Amino acid sequence: MSLTLDFNLDNETYRHYLNGHPVVMHSHHYLALITKLAEDLGDIGGSQILKDVVEETMRAIFDDYVQKNGLTSPLDRCNVGREYYSAFGLGKMVVTGSESGGEVRLIRSHLDEGWIMKWGPNDKPINLFTCGFIAAIFAVAFNKPVKSYTVTEVTSMACGDAEGKFIVKLS
Amino acid sequence: MTVMRDTVVKALAKCTVQGDENGLIPEYDVLVNLLPVSLLNKFTERILAAAPADKKEMVEEGLVRAAYECGYHTGCGIITSEIFNDVVLPMVTEGEKDILRGAYAAFTAWGWAKAGIVQLKEAEKMVIRANDYYEADSVGDGMRAYMFRGLCQAFFDLTYADPYPDGMDTYACQQTKGIEVGDPYGEFVVTKK
Repeated sequence: MSLTLDFNLDNETYRHYLNGHPVVMHSHHYLALITKLAEDLGDIGGSQILKDVVEETMRAIFDDYVQKNGLTSPLDRCNVGREYYSAFGLGKMVVTGSESGGEVRLIRSHLDEGWIMKWGPNDKPINLFTCGFIAAIFAVAFNKPVKSYTVTEVTSMACGDAEGKFIVKLS
Repeated sequence: MTVMRDTVVKALAKCTVQGDENGLIPEYDVLVNLLPVSLLNKFTERILAAAPADKKEMVEEGLVRAAYECGYHTGCGIITSEIFNDVVLPMVTEGEKDILRGAYAAFTAWGWAKAGIVQLKEAEKMVIRANDYYEADSVGDGMRAYMFRGLCQAFFDLTYADPYPDGMDTYACQQTKGIEVGDPYGEFVVTKK
């Protein structure tokens, strides 16, 4: 399967759309600082808010794509998420697993590599964004509601590991 | 000739970005991402809703700061990029003022906001008006175009503060009108800190 990318522009407002969804460009500075803000607000649930928002938003986009394209197999549905991740410029991942959970290896990472470019290595994993994204991928692949999967980042490029690794468990 | 905004907007709006074979978008001396507007707005809404009264200002400053640093570093990459060089620089006859006009044309073309300069006192004050910006879609209380404020501040720093990267935090931007609170347009005022 290869994700179809349909870019459109509203000639009146100049807003940009990808597969019918409004999108906008920012840089690793933005995502790194948003992540740091969420972490700094841990006492009010900032990290979980970021994960949840990513999962809910991406799930809606993946659902829209799989429905419009009639994709029913878990592999095809999983690939929609994996390929969107790369199309959005977020990096490159390898996904393995089943309905009960699995593992995701992050080979390249916008956020981790950007974090290191901006601040250098960190002492703990920081990729909340990708945790939410992976939860959405598994949920759409196996047709589960949002918040069905718990994703834990166990190795992290931002901490100096060669790859990121995420463990996915059905909640 | 000065910068012809419509020409620049049309030329730059044709650019689309997507991840390369590594799933990355290295452009303008940064790593670019392309994210759903709904995700960014929803994060702002939820984090502000979760913040107690004594933390709201810190959250708002954090949201502005994220856009500011993004705008400062990426903005420098944009105004020194090949495409800016090809499309905008041939029209520049009024120095910094035209660079700033070109930057706002890019601002519009790349979908951050349909916005332009309505008042400019060089190196002192700038008023920006926006007829459309994605943060106006968000739900919440008060004016909340934090991304827009950060980018305006960054562009003015890049244009009139000390040369990159030494000019950070010279100017500040306040929002004075907002579509999200019922005004017909958004208005933003940049002045020295």
